[in-house]
Amino acid sequence: MKKRNVLDWGLRLAVFIAAVGVWELFVSTAQNFLLPRFTDVARGLFRLLFSEARFWQALYISNQALILGFAISVGIGIPLGLLAGRFRWMDRVLNPYVGVLLTMPVAPLIPIVIIALGLGIAARVFIVVLFAFVFITVNTRAGVRSVEASLIEMAKSFGASEAQIWRRIVIPGALPAIFAGMRIGLGRAVTGMVMVELILVASGLGRLLLEFSGRMQSDLVFATVLAVIIEALALLAAMQALEKRITRWAPNIAIG
Amino acid sequence: MIRVRGLSKEFGTLDNGNGGVLALSDIDFEVHDNEFVTIIGPSGCGKTTLLRIIAGLIPYDHGEVTIDGRPVTGPGPERAVVFQNFALMPWADVLSNITFGLEIRGASKDECQAKAIELIKLVGLQGFERRLPKELSGGMQQRVGLARALAVNPQILLMDEPFGALDEQTRRLLQEQLLRLWEHKRKTVVFITHSMDEAVMLGDRVMLMTPRPGRVKEMIDVPLERPRSREVEKSSAFLEIKEYLWDNLRAMQSGDA
Repeated sequence: MKKRNVLDWGLRLAVFIAAVGVWELFVSTAQNFLLPRFTDVARGLFRLLFSEARFWQALYISNQALILGFAISVGIGIPLGLLAGRFRWMDRVLNPYVGVLLTMPVAPLIPIVIIALGLGIAARVFIVVLFAFVFITVNTRAGVRSVEASLIEMAKSFGASEAQIWRRIVIPGALPAIFAGMRIGLGRAVTGMVMVELILVASGLGRLLLEFSGRMQSDLVFATVLAVIIEALALLAAMQALEKRITRWAPNIAIG
Repeated sequence: MIRVRGLSKEFGTLDNGNGGVLALSDIDFEVHDNEFVTIIGPSGCGKTTLLRIIAGLIPYDHGEVTIDGRPVTGPGPERAVVFQNFALMPWADVLSNITFGLEIRGASKDECQAKAIELIKLVGLQGFERRLPKELSGGMQQRVGLARALAVNPQILLMDEPFGALDEQTRRLLQEQLLRLWEHKRKTVVFITHSMDEAVMLGDRVMLMTPRPGRVKEMIDVPLERPRSREVEKSSAFLEIKEYLWDNLRAMQSGDA
């Protein structure tokens, strides 16, 4: 186990170094003054993190929408998925809307949402929810469906109530898929957060990105994107750690 | 005592009463207290359906199913089921799986703990308390299933082909273990099987069923002494009953082949 971990990290590092090498090589031969070197981006990231107060402010603003939107997505997505998974009639009612939400391009709707909800945090949160929640619903539903019918029958044979069946069988059985849904949902939420800020609401990290690109500070644009990626990775890692603790029984479901 | 009278069950009936498949038709039998009855029949004879009806897991259309005179309307505390595919919670360790029924029925933590320790010893799973089902062999998994059923101290044990998914050696070991347990602590057992050896080895009586629709063909007494050991398999009585079952089952299934 330990040995494999070392090997994994060694290989990851090797891929990283190779990618950076290709990047540096490309930039030095491309003769494009706007294209930043990796070292420029790293320096830019350093600058953002340690000497740019506005970065932290922007991160804070963006994260309000992200955290709130993701929390609401989880709060709506999981219950809807549980209901659709357990009750056929719920599934039949929700199915067409889930289809719409899954396939609908959200970005073109952003202007309409802003007209309806204004330029405040409500619109940003709404867009994040629109990006994220349906993926959590779909995965939760699949998780509930994957719970073996014989387990529910077993619980019933001991006289379990519907509430006990939910708490002891359905939810624990669906947890691995619920976590998979939350991982995908988180990725979508980050996309939604940046997208809405870029397209219309000039606030948070999106505003910072627009500013940097307006001033052609491409190193800082890259650095900001890198910071968003790092944050998303940290959130995913935290979620995966939680998942591992709760669902050590399950085979690894690696979606998203 | 389990008493079944004129029981019929149809699946997939349309609202106008047409289109159903008759799974069980006019079933009559009873199982006395502390009796071990095995049920055997070709696939499609509705034996599992019958067991699930007695367990109170599915409703029935006609007739009467009573336990000590009370009609069955759902699962009850005097019954526990052992499932063919074990039906263990994959996320819960051996201990939690065994105490599941007790917890559902509102037993205290101490009670569960004490009972679990007793049962783990009884079925021989010491040292595996914290293992997950996927870390156990099939035979061990079904011993967990058996312990879970015994934990609620039922009068009646309903077993649905409990050893059907196991290999021959494991199956024999578990049959012997079940016999010892039952001889030590008598319970009423309804045991479904598709193995003729198993039916005769374990049962006080063997109920032979016919397929499509499931009916009771015959109740056959097994006059073998208890406690039984593997020696009885060589006795002429054992071989005769087995032969008789085979003749009947072959006749029923030759129509299918």
